[in-house]
Amino acid sequence: MRLFKLTFATIFRRKAWAFCLFAVLFLPFALPMISSASEKPVLVQPARIQAAWGTLFICTMVWGFFAAARLGESNSRSGTGEYFRTTGLSATRQLFEIWLALLTFIVPLAFIAMAICLFAAMPSEASEKAMWWTLNFQYLTLFLLVFAPLLALACALASRFGGITGFGVTFLITIYGLYGVGYLDNMLKVEANSALQALWLYSPQYRFADLTQRLYFKTGALSGEVFSNMIFYFAAILAVNTGISRLCFRTSATV
Amino acid sequence: MTATTPTIKLGSGLVIGYTAPLATFGESVELQGGTHFLLARNGRGKSTLLRTIAGSLRKLSGDFTTEGFMQYLPEDMRFDPEIAPKTIFKTLLPKARHEAAFSLADRIELDVNKMYGKLSTGNRRKTALIMAEHSVMPDRGNILLLDEPFSGLDAFARETFEEMWDNTSENVLRLVSCHPDYDSMTMPSVLLIEGNTVSHHSGDDQKWSSLKALLN
Repeated sequence: MRLFKLTFATIFRRKAWAFCLFAVLFLPFALPMISSASEKPVLVQPARIQAAWGTLFICTMVWGFFAAARLGESNSRSGTGEYFRTTGLSATRQLFEIWLALLTFIVPLAFIAMAICLFAAMPSEASEKAMWWTLNFQYLTLFLLVFAPLLALACALASRFGGITGFGVTFLITIYGLYGVGYLDNMLKVEANSALQALWLYSPQYRFADLTQRLYFKTGALSGEVFSNMIFYFAAILAVNTGISRLCFRTSATV
Repeated sequence: MTATTPTIKLGSGLVIGYTAPLATFGESVELQGGTHFLLARNGRGKSTLLRTIAGSLRKLSGDFTTEGFMQYLPEDMRFDPEIAPKTIFKTLLPKARHEAAFSLADRIELDVNKMYGKLSTGNRRKTALIMAEHSVMPDRGNILLLDEPFSGLDAFARETFEEMWDNTSENVLRLVSCHPDYDSMTMPSVLLIEGNTVSHHSGDDQKWSSLKALLN
């Protein structure tokens, strides 16, 4: 795990993770104070939920993807990827170790966002409390299933096409999956179009993994069947992303 | 030969290059533990040969085999500018080797607390060399392919590494590409790329002065 340790130390040393940690810890408490929730105390908890998960999404999409792209590009262009490969560390293993180092920083942020929802925005009713725990764990699971492979994708694309491409493409895919497919869906409801229908069908529906609205309106946890369907769906996307990432990832820019 | 003896066998007819042939082995060559130099003029295939042996690049034809734990140190290898050599050693070397690495760094005047990005070219080379030398596995054969390790190194650091190489020549095979800068430099084993042909020259009293006329 030499590359994992080196990558972990590099990320730690760069300190950008500290800003994300601060944002995830502080903004869910600060932002409601400067929103309309400051005048309606009943809105403080919903605002906190939105701030907690929203900050996590932004940190992962901006810092996480950027760090992944930078690490992927640096590994292939600095000669370290080639060095590790000659020592017997395969390209797959290198991608895995870089990805794991990144995930070591992202996972605690996700747990913090969940913990804020659990302990600083928990409904007071006993029946809602149990549901709240379930829904938050479901949200955490889906978040990790969506973002973990995207981090690997950013790293892999950057190792082959450069950091800007790695970051930009992954960021746009995520934005499209979270918001774009929703707009496409609405367009198709107004007017049928077979080409757009096909595009919609094969698009990653990341919006289903965003459970903020369910938390916000307290509509309860996902049923076991719906949740397991979503797990299968996102696991399939994970498999596709992992395959593409492995195909794109390279350890040396000159070969 | 024991399990700790590193070997590189380069077959006659081995052709190296990216897409077009760059150099061919006219005869079979077998290298074992010790320091072997790789000499050629610029662009004749020194790095290509090292990368082929390391497995980073495919051979165009012919055969070769290696036995031992391989490390290829590219000439332009660099670490993240914001981490210090100390962190590099601590993350990449076994704990038992930290002290030796820090001690060598101290001896050759490498500031292990300075950010890598602020180090001079020579000190960056020292960092990579110390890392590679201390990654050597003591209980098995090792192959170290060093691409221009002396570029930017001061004479004292260079001598220190050469001394170290003499002391660990049994289980470490070092193939070192370089451009020697003094005629009296002793080179008992040399792979020479002359034109498009690679040949092996050996002799205990062989010096750079007698070899440089062969380079064209």
